[in-house]
Amino acid sequence: MKSLAFFPRTRRMAIIMHLFLLGYVAVILFPLSWVVIGALKTNREMFLDPTGLPADPNWGKFIEAWNAGVRDFFINSVVVSGVSVALIVIASALAAYALTRMNFRYSGWVYLLTVLCFAIPVHAVLVPIYGLLSDLHLLNTHLGLILPYAAFGLPFSIILMYSFFYEFPAELEEAGKLDGCGPWRRLWFVVLPLSRPVLISVAIFNLVGVWNEFLLATIIMTSKHMQTLPLGLVSFRDQYGTDWPGTLAAISIGSLPLLVLFVIFQKYFVRSMAGMGK
Amino acid sequence: MAQPPTHHRRDTISALTLLAPAMILFGAFILLPLMQTFAWSLYRYEVFGGVKEFVGLDNFAKLAGDEVFGIALINNLKFAVLSVVLQVGMGLVLAALLDRGVRRFKVVYRTIIFAPILVSTAAVGLLWSLILNPSIGPVDDWLGLIGLSAPRNGLLGEPAFAIYGVIFVGAWQYTGFMMVILLAGMQNVPEETYEAARMDGCKGLRAFFHITLPTIRNVIITCCLLTVIGAFKVFDLVYVLTNGGPGNATEVLASYIFRNAFEFGQIGYANALSVVFLAIAFVFGLIQFRMIRR
Repeated sequence: MKSLAFFPRTRRMAIIMHLFLLGYVAVILFPLSWVVIGALKTNREMFLDPTGLPADPNWGKFIEAWNAGVRDFFINSVVVSGVSVALIVIASALAAYALTRMNFRYSGWVYLLTVLCFAIPVHAVLVPIYGLLSDLHLLNTHLGLILPYAAFGLPFSIILMYSFFYEFPAELEEAGKLDGCGPWRRLWFVVLPLSRPVLISVAIFNLVGVWNEFLLATIIMTSKHMQTLPLGLVSFRDQYGTDWPGTLAAISIGSLPLLVLFVIFQKYFVRSMAGMGK
Repeated sequence: MAQPPTHHRRDTISALTLLAPAMILFGAFILLPLMQTFAWSLYRYEVFGGVKEFVGLDNFAKLAGDEVFGIALINNLKFAVLSVVLQVGMGLVLAALLDRGVRRFKVVYRTIIFAPILVSTAAVGLLWSLILNPSIGPVDDWLGLIGLSAPRNGLLGEPAFAIYGVIFVGAWQYTGFMMVILLAGMQNVPEETYEAARMDGCKGLRAFFHITLPTIRNVIITCCLLTVIGAFKVFDLVYVLTNGGPGNATEVLASYIFRNAFEFGQIGYANALSVVFLAIAFVFGLIQFRMIRR
């Protein structure tokens, strides 16, 4: 129980606070529910009464949107996000372990380089990355998006893991050393299993970032069947612009996957995103 | 105890192996491209027409007189200032209400307020572009109810208003994110700090201003930094909501770089813009790093 409250503990004050929060929640929920409800309406109903409920809800629009492209966007997003997040988690764990545990002369320089990369936004290298991927024939391929995503996700992940491993008690590893475990085995059997919280955090905030990334995806995935969800939904609007319920259905089901994951793993999501404030 | 040299060499080899994936990715996709950005910013390099000649700092001179660049820079600044006020300000209010305000339904409130961050910015832009769309969205009708008539092309079609609409949509999406960070900071303030303050007669909102805010000062600074960096990087919201228009009214640096490179084919000029962008983002990025490693 918290002994001190910021506001008087009166009934009236409680009502005011709840009303304020409910008002804010309404501002969040209204657009979201408007999209879902709109998907159930007819085009005519959309024009005549933008906020009204559908007379005869048409659930078929969701299936239509799924088959008209959202499925492909979803698969592309899953492949690209899955592989790049896995790559980021593995490569950052390896790098941070090397930087904190190995007797390596240039550790300081490598760390500095990581910080440098952390401060470089993807906007500054858009054109050269496009040129490079074009030379490698990786435009419009999953790998072409995965590699730059991994590169730009790594710096912050390494910095986070570095702080975690830095504070990791050395005694736990000493035991492994006495048992004759080399650095690889100690990393795999001792350090990583005990680092689950930071591994999950790194995985989640990279997942949120990569799943929703737009700028790189726009320049790399120009052919429609390779697009990830965020830009797929935009091209869906441009293609089926006058079929409003269809567009709204696509936005609804296209936004669902991450929200579902969030509801299931809420604790981890909140902890991971709140950790950005550290 | 000095380690035998063989051991040291083995460590170096292991370290290099472990670092290799990250270093290769940094080199190929961040550092080498960065060198190219610098190099090309000194060229007059146009895709259409196949021009590529060294012009020194000409692109930067052109940039200084470019009206659209000015508009973009000012829009980014507006975005940064207003987003800090809206997102961090509202985030603080919401976090205070959930930390030491209401006692029930806290998790429900937090979950709903946080949710928009998990919808992609592109989808958020799409949904708001439809809500603000004059023919199918409800906002125009509401304006009518309070006696205002919406502009003919909708609010986002109004040059004087459009950028504020985009900023509002950004705040709609990101305020919950700020709230969650600030709430975590507030929950870390030790109970004893408040106890001690209460002994001195400091409680209620005074405790919020005199105890909470100073204690979570660094968290607030981090939130402001995240917001400012995000404001300078904004692209998808503008691209989806207004595509920089009407005219160039909502152009931002990122969309202007994109347009120059991938629509006008002005590679040299786009890279000069990228260099300016880098200079701004790099400073904030380093400050942010200092905050993480505090």
